[in-house]
Amino acid sequence: MSKHHALDRFGRSGNPVIRSAAFQERVSGNEEKMSLEGAVNKTGILLFLVMIAAAVSWNYQGPLMTLVSSLGMFVAFVSGIMTFGFYFFFVGWLVEPRPHNAPRTAPVYAIGMGFFIGLISQQAESLYPGIVIQAVSLTFFVAASLLLAYKTGVIKPNQNFLLMVFAATMGIFLTYLANLIYFAVTGNNFFVLTDNGTMGIVISLFIIGIAALNLVLDFDIIEQADEQGAPKYMEWFGAMALVATLIWLYIEILRLLMKLRGR
Amino acid sequence: MSYLTIVTGLLGLISAFVFFYFLKFKASAKQTQRKDRIRWSKFIPYKNETPVGDSEKESDDAKFKDN
Repeated sequence: MSKHHALDRFGRSGNPVIRSAAFQERVSGNEEKMSLEGAVNKTGILLFLVMIAAAVSWNYQGPLMTLVSSLGMFVAFVSGIMTFGFYFFFVGWLVEPRPHNAPRTAPVYAIGMGFFIGLISQQAESLYPGIVIQAVSLTFFVAASLLLAYKTGVIKPNQNFLLMVFAATMGIFLTYLANLIYFAVTGNNFFVLTDNGTMGIVISLFIIGIAALNLVLDFDIIEQADEQGAPKYMEWFGAMALVATLIWLYIEILRLLMKLRGR
Repeated sequence: MSYLTIVTGLLGLISAFVFFYFLKFKASAKQTQRKDRIRWSKFIPYKNETPVGDSEKESDDAKFKDN
């Protein structure tokens, strides 16, 4: 504290009403708050955008659409980092999370990933007819089951749960990154990721399990944001997190079904 | 379209309905009234957490009154 008491005094308001917690509450009370219903609506909007982009990508296959899908995936990845940040083990946050960006980045993410999903889904469907309906259905089945388990309190996520899921998710992410580099150099994938033998299927099931547990974390973020009366943009943030996990889960289920059909 | 695909499709439709329907409801007290819940401070502004600057101002006031 400086010696100039008057400056310290007038530098901030001494009015007890303005300084009271009640005033702070009233000011924040004017801001629009998020609701569970709003988050559900935004999830629906984002899934609709994914579906529209996927339908376009599905129907107009070709070199141009392959390029658009690759660009879409890249844009979606950048949108994800701009919203959720980027955390790295032992280093910390390389990019800080910015949830207030979600109303702008979430639709971009949904459309970008939609193009990519449409492309891979069409290719999978041409090899194994009916596989896309099965993968979409199983994705919603897993999501609905975990939602019920979360809402009823059967699964209770705590700090240890978060650490375990986060570590496993980072492990999977790093494995995919290493596979991408390996593919760029040699033109081959890691055998365990593409193998349709018992080992490959066990690994796919493990990855699906981790993706499903990420859904529980998304439900918890949405639930707590609603309880805390978080700002309106958290509806988009929660919806984006949920849609991102659903897309990941769908891709992994599709891969598992392709492995099973290819045996 | 195979029988399996139709059955899985129906299962998917019911699951999607259940998912969007129950997502609107608040979780049970068993879930929300726990002490070991995850704190998403990086993403959610919690009501009972005051910014560091504000707490410093409060301590300054206490010193000012003493003087």
